[in-house]
Amino acid sequence: MSPPPIAAQGLGKRFRREWGLRGLTLEIPSGAIVGLAGPNGAGKSTLLALATGLLAPTEGTISVLGRDPLRSAGVLAKVGYVAQGAPLYRSFSVAETIEFARRTNAGWEDEAATDLLTRIDSKTKVGSLSEGDRARLALALVLGKRPQLVLLDEPFASLDPLAGRELLQLLMDGVAETAATVVVASHVVADIERVCDHIVLLTAGGVRLEGNVEQLLDSHRLLTGPRRPLGSIRGVREIVRERHSGRQLTMLAVIDGPIVDPSWTVERVSLEELLLAYMAPERLPTARPPEKVPLRWHG
Amino acid sequence: MAWVTWRQHRSQTVAEAGLLLALAAAAFGTRLPIQAAFHRDSLSACLPPAARSGCDIIVPHFEGEFAGWVTAARVLAVLPVLAGLFVGAPLLARELEQGTHRFAWTQGITRRRWLLSKTAFLAAATLLAGAIASAVVMWWRGPFDTLEGRIGPSSFDVEGLVVPAYALYALALGVLAGLVFRRTVAAMTSTLVAFAATRFLVLEFVRPHFLTPLHRVVAATDTAQAGDWVLSNTLVDGGGRQITAAREDLAVLHATQAGIDPHTYILTLGWKRLISYQPAGRFWTFQLFEAGLFVALSALIVVVMLWLVRRRPA
Repeated sequence: MSPPPIAAQGLGKRFRREWGLRGLTLEIPSGAIVGLAGPNGAGKSTLLALATGLLAPTEGTISVLGRDPLRSAGVLAKVGYVAQGAPLYRSFSVAETIEFARRTNAGWEDEAATDLLTRIDSKTKVGSLSEGDRARLALALVLGKRPQLVLLDEPFASLDPLAGRELLQLLMDGVAETAATVVVASHVVADIERVCDHIVLLTAGGVRLEGNVEQLLDSHRLLTGPRRPLGSIRGVREIVRERHSGRQLTMLAVIDGPIVDPSWTVERVSLEELLLAYMAPERLPTARPPEKVPLRWHG
Repeated sequence: MAWVTWRQHRSQTVAEAGLLLALAAAAFGTRLPIQAAFHRDSLSACLPPAARSGCDIIVPHFEGEFAGWVTAARVLAVLPVLAGLFVGAPLLARELEQGTHRFAWTQGITRRRWLLSKTAFLAAATLLAGAIASAVVMWWRGPFDTLEGRIGPSSFDVEGLVVPAYALYALALGVLAGLVFRRTVAAMTSTLVAFAATRFLVLEFVRPHFLTPLHRVVAATDTAQAGDWVLSNTLVDGGGRQITAAREDLAVLHATQAGIDPHTYILTLGWKRLISYQPAGRFWTFQLFEAGLFVALSALIVVVMLWLVRRRPA
């Protein structure tokens, strides 16, 4: 049994006085395509930076492929990471950038990378590439490492929807063969909905929701019915969010059995609706309101 | 890593080589007339131990003729700090400023190794450039140094082993400042300040005490011997008490009013001149001490840097 791609235990990171991430315990299953969702400033980038050893945890531990990314940084040869904005050396040509990766990664394989770059002239300076081509290059650099774990931080932020979709497809094709685990952080749910089979939703520096997408969709229902005082409803374990409009009551609920009351219209929800419901700051079923965490890491 | 370092620093290396070439060309061009004047005045006969008569006129004349050039050449004392400002400071600050460290430090090579290889390569280049610059300056200043000695700060600071050592120290300071301040301009400024401060403190408070200074008592009207680095030069009376400038002026005034030659008068008072100095012969020993000191400081900085680069959030 190989170690989990990412395992965090009570993980916390403080920036000066504010916590960017706190008390995060998480285990990402091997081979999953994980959507790391959450509003800006929720700690997505912080989590990825901790996973790559760019940041050191203030408390708790994180292990990547079973190793501490900070102490045994060699593990990063197996991790393909693209930071937000895909930072690369602007004065390097495409070929030189590839050379850089080849010389700094033991398991580098040219074919895995160059397949993506056939339509880009290798003498072009990185600084003069289009956003789409730069993202392509960044992805090629990741795939050339033959990674066991791919971490992408907001890879679509600067791309048009079509280019974003294409990039995602290239990523999926690239990792299909190696069964690598992929974590894509994005605050736009629609970006990741199409491909991810696992969701980690961060809000205010902690895990708000985590699980297999199918199971999550199976366990949630949207209930619509006439407005009434709410007692316990048979089949409903927890109400995530409720909304009144006129005499109508709509609520998203976690169910533990069939809803037998015929006065409720029961519908399945989309992943986007589900995540938005959990992301919304008001009417959270948790006892204490989440602390406001200002943005520190570009997240 | 060698390729990576070369690719990222080749323009700096080329600029460095260009600067050295310009320095060598300037030195070569200006050295010829100096050499010619040195021979014309047969100054080799005026070297300290066996100075013939008339040297006290020829030497100042020769020195006066090229005083402007020698003063201009003192500017070369800033050369070493350039390594810190333009190579050291941007090394990490630019990566951190532009976010490219998130690319470079997440590859299969540890960031300590990344930093160590880069620093080692650049340190070697800096030492080489410093040694070449130092050799050129020593050759150029040769005629003056044979007359005046090399241990005085104006020659000591731009010659010998200390030049590459200063450059190495500036480089290390620059890299550390880049890591701490994460901004190129802030790193450059702090490198300049820290470098100047260290040089000043060492020159004022450390270098004079590398070896115990020698003392010499000469007649009150004699001057210090050329070639030595004079640390202090005081008039003392027969009882060994220091004579203040005011008392000296009074004595001169008194002598003038009485119609006596002031020099003769001061001699009759039994005043002596107490000179504390470092002899010219200690040049290489001092060079070794000072270069060693700066190399040790650089090594210390590298250790701090390697510790910090892993601990500091990036």
